[in-house]
Amino acid sequence: MRDITKVRNIGISAHIDSGKTTLTERILFYTQRIHAIHEVRGKDGVGAKMDSMELERERGITICSAATYCDWKDHAINIIDTPGHVDFTIEVERALRVLDGAVLILCSVGGVQSQSITVNRQMTRYRVPRVAFINKCDRTGANPDRVIKQLRDKLALNAVPIQVPMGLEGDMQGLIDLVRMKAIYFDGENGDKIREEEIPAQYKEECDIKREEMLDAVSMFSDELMEAVLEGTPTEEMIMAAIRTGTLSMEFTPVMMGTAYKNKGVQLLLDAVVSYLPCPTDVDNFALDLDHDEAEVKVSNNSSDPLLALAFKLEDGRYGQLTYVRTYQGTLTKGDSIVNVRTGKKAKVGRLVRMHSDDMEEIDEAGSGDIVALFGIDCASGDTFTSGSDYNFSMTSMHVPAPVISLSIAPVDNKAQDNMSKALNRFTKEDPTFKTFVDPETMETIISGMGELHLDVYVERMKREYKAEVTVGAPQVAYRETITQRAEFNYTHKKQTGGSGQFGRVAGFIEPMEEGEYEFVDKIVGGSVPREYIPSCDKGFQKCLDKGALVGAHVTGVRCTITDGASHAVDSSDIAFQLAAIGGFKEAYAKAKPMIMEPIMKVAAEGPSEFQGSIMGSLNQRRGIIIGTNEEDAYTVIEAEVPLSEMFGYSTDLRSLTQGKAEFTMEFAAYRQVPKSVAEELIAKALKNKK
Amino acid sequence: MLKKDLIEKNPIRHLKGESDAKESSRMGLVMAQAGTGKTALLVQIALDSLLNDKQVVHVSVGQSLDKTKLWYEDMFKDIAEGCKLDNAGEIHDGIMRNRMIITFNESKFSLAKLEERLHDLVQQNVIKPSCMVVDGFDFVKTDRAVLEGMRELAKAMDLQIWFSSVCSEGADSQSATAVPAPCNGMEDLFNTVVLLQPVPQSDCIDLKIIKGSAAVSKCGKLLKLDPRTFMIREDCK
Repeated sequence: MRDITKVRNIGISAHIDSGKTTLTERILFYTQRIHAIHEVRGKDGVGAKMDSMELERERGITICSAATYCDWKDHAINIIDTPGHVDFTIEVERALRVLDGAVLILCSVGGVQSQSITVNRQMTRYRVPRVAFINKCDRTGANPDRVIKQLRDKLALNAVPIQVPMGLEGDMQGLIDLVRMKAIYFDGENGDKIREEEIPAQYKEECDIKREEMLDAVSMFSDELMEAVLEGTPTEEMIMAAIRTGTLSMEFTPVMMGTAYKNKGVQLLLDAVVSYLPCPTDVDNFALDLDHDEAEVKVSNNSSDPLLALAFKLEDGRYGQLTYVRTYQGTLTKGDSIVNVRTGKKAKVGRLVRMHSDDMEEIDEAGSGDIVALFGIDCASGDTFTSGSDYNFSMTSMHVPAPVISLSIAPVDNKAQDNMSKALNRFTKEDPTFKTFVDPETMETIISGMGELHLDVYVERMKREYKAEVTVGAPQVAYRETITQRAEFNYTHKKQTGGSGQFGRVAGFIEPMEEGEYEFVDKIVGGSVPREYIPSCDKGFQKCLDKGALVGAHVTGVRCTITDGASHAVDSSDIAFQLAAIGGFKEAYAKAKPMIMEPIMKVAAEGPSEFQGSIMGSLNQRRGIIIGTNEEDAYTVIEAEVPLSEMFGYSTDLRSLTQGKAEFTMEFAAYRQVPKSVAEELIAKALKNKK
Repeated sequence: MLKKDLIEKNPIRHLKGESDAKESSRMGLVMAQAGTGKTALLVQIALDSLLNDKQVVHVSVGQSLDKTKLWYEDMFKDIAEGCKLDNAGEIHDGIMRNRMIITFNESKFSLAKLEERLHDLVQQNVIKPSCMVVDGFDFVKTDRAVLEGMRELAKAMDLQIWFSSVCSEGADSQSATAVPAPCNGMEDLFNTVVLLQPVPQSDCIDLKIIKGSAAVSKCGKLLKLDPRTFMIREDCK
């Protein structure tokens, strides 16, 4: 089995257009995974290898993180290509979960842009050690020193260059490695022939200064090195060990540079990935013990322990469903049976493959810490696999928030209908927060999720990947109704139209309850309602919950109690009591002061401090309650609670308000009562729709 | 209990500033040994303003937003339960609307920045505070000029400002008249200075009024507080 210390699971993360995909492409080329180089916006129509989804090829951006595998100097590197666009941060975060280390790519001209800041913060949150790579040093205006300063100021990283470029912009010739003090040239058509030489005289002085600075910074992490530096005898190994220690502790960020497009510096970056980024055992990962209230337990990383693996991505390719998994402990072996913790279902590992974007390689087993793909396993993204049902651990929380926004979609023709249902089936598996159902009243297909953009992405993917052309309705916020006080009812349902009639009387009350959606309490004494009809009353009440009388929203937080009633020996029936309960509920509901509740989102907007006034103003305008602000260096984070219905189109507004420098994230916080004026509007609209 | 009674029992009702200082722009200081409840008293002061339907800015230096929010939640819950408050949920939602928290990293706090923030808030119509509490302000590293600036700010914005400060180790906190270090020599800048002292083997906290006077309380310069809610204890009145 593979030596676990020689595995690197890394992500390549960056701002859009800083050349991430190009860099990945070069890495695959130098590790001999691919044999020709294609450009992102290539004229040859093949496109870069990592951007396997058509939509990405067309737009030149990467949406979904495909995992790919390569070998470099007897180390195995799994690369997760993470998306670089603000709107797909769910994908980014999911990818970060399975990474041990990352390469942060920056454009030598653009420097640290807002997306780099977000990505950097996410990496800090998930404790991902990183190395920085300043790309595009061949571009006019390239200035690595400025980028390094930004890394320190804006990202608060202890960023120190370990290379010096020989020339910038058009006449970049190569790089000087400050650890080994050698000049390195990249010869050959594709820069694949590395030539090492002495440092040219004109760079000598600069290199001495920069090396001194680097040694200063890095000797903080090694006493041995510090002594050696004082004596003037630091060795290559000592420096590299100290850089590694610093990088793993996240207190030091080595900075490399080069230009992927012009084939310079990529091999050195790969060396750095192998030397400085952690192997799976260097990182602590935690599983949740489901038998003990999701308590955190450190995973062992030991290949001989019971299996613990996380399915982090699904793909529906030409080979059928492909599930990307990362093993955290234990071994995944072909032919073994594994258990999906969420569903409790057993499955057999049929085919186990290592993925290289679109091609693959069959393997027999995968040890702890590896990233591989499985075929023919039925699961959803985020599911955990273990070796047996008694081993009840999960890598992700089982708690899935309820969707807060919905859209109606309709296929344009029959062919689209088939494709749409295929697509929906896939998406619901991939993403537990994405749900779909058919509205029984309008017969429309409704999709619901966690936000406007969330649904937009899926609609777009449906068109691109599944060729399902759909028309989309206006987004609807999932309102709810509840009652605020106790109210009594006493309702008699009577119908006599010849033949056997219908008769049922129920009396009781409904009252609000704080927790839970609905409760039915039977307090009938003396059999005024016959036993067999009590479930009918329950059924009747539940029918009323689907559509509240105010705006037709789902009713929650109601306890229905029946205390009395009457029946008829011949005319009473199941349906009669159901209708009596419905009548009773409607009667009491109006008296129980019903109110409408709306989803409130917790919004965190961040931008340069000079814009914080206008950001706050914009949130305030949207009925937001500003909870507070937090100053972080030159950035301010504003936290607010804003009704979801007011957040439509906010990303566009926010960008135009702040010259594109601010961004926001939001998540569902709670359901809260809508203000009176808004409630009246909603009721009026609901009335109009009924007519 | 009603909202009205709650306001009555708040210790701040009983703290009068010295002499002619206008109530609306006074400066107050809460001092205590570490861990005796400075933040709690500040939150209590803020809650008092909130219950009076006034708006409050809570400035927290060195503490996170979530932590500060928790202080309010816990404090309000304790008070609501301790005093058997009716319609607590409604009051809670109402007052949280009027509160705004600004947090700073310890190294990033400056008067100029704070002033800018406050003006932003007023300008954007987000909030018009009449009370500001400043928690975690470092008196050891501050000179008078900053506090004088604060005074100006208080006057200009019609804002009462309350600070908290840790008594220095070894400072004489037993004396009932002198202001303990590090704030000694600055007392002229404040209208009210109080000292919190836990009473050993009892379930109350003493609130000594070092500067200013207790207006209503019969207990003179000493108020007894419930350590959970920081409300004045019934038996003390």
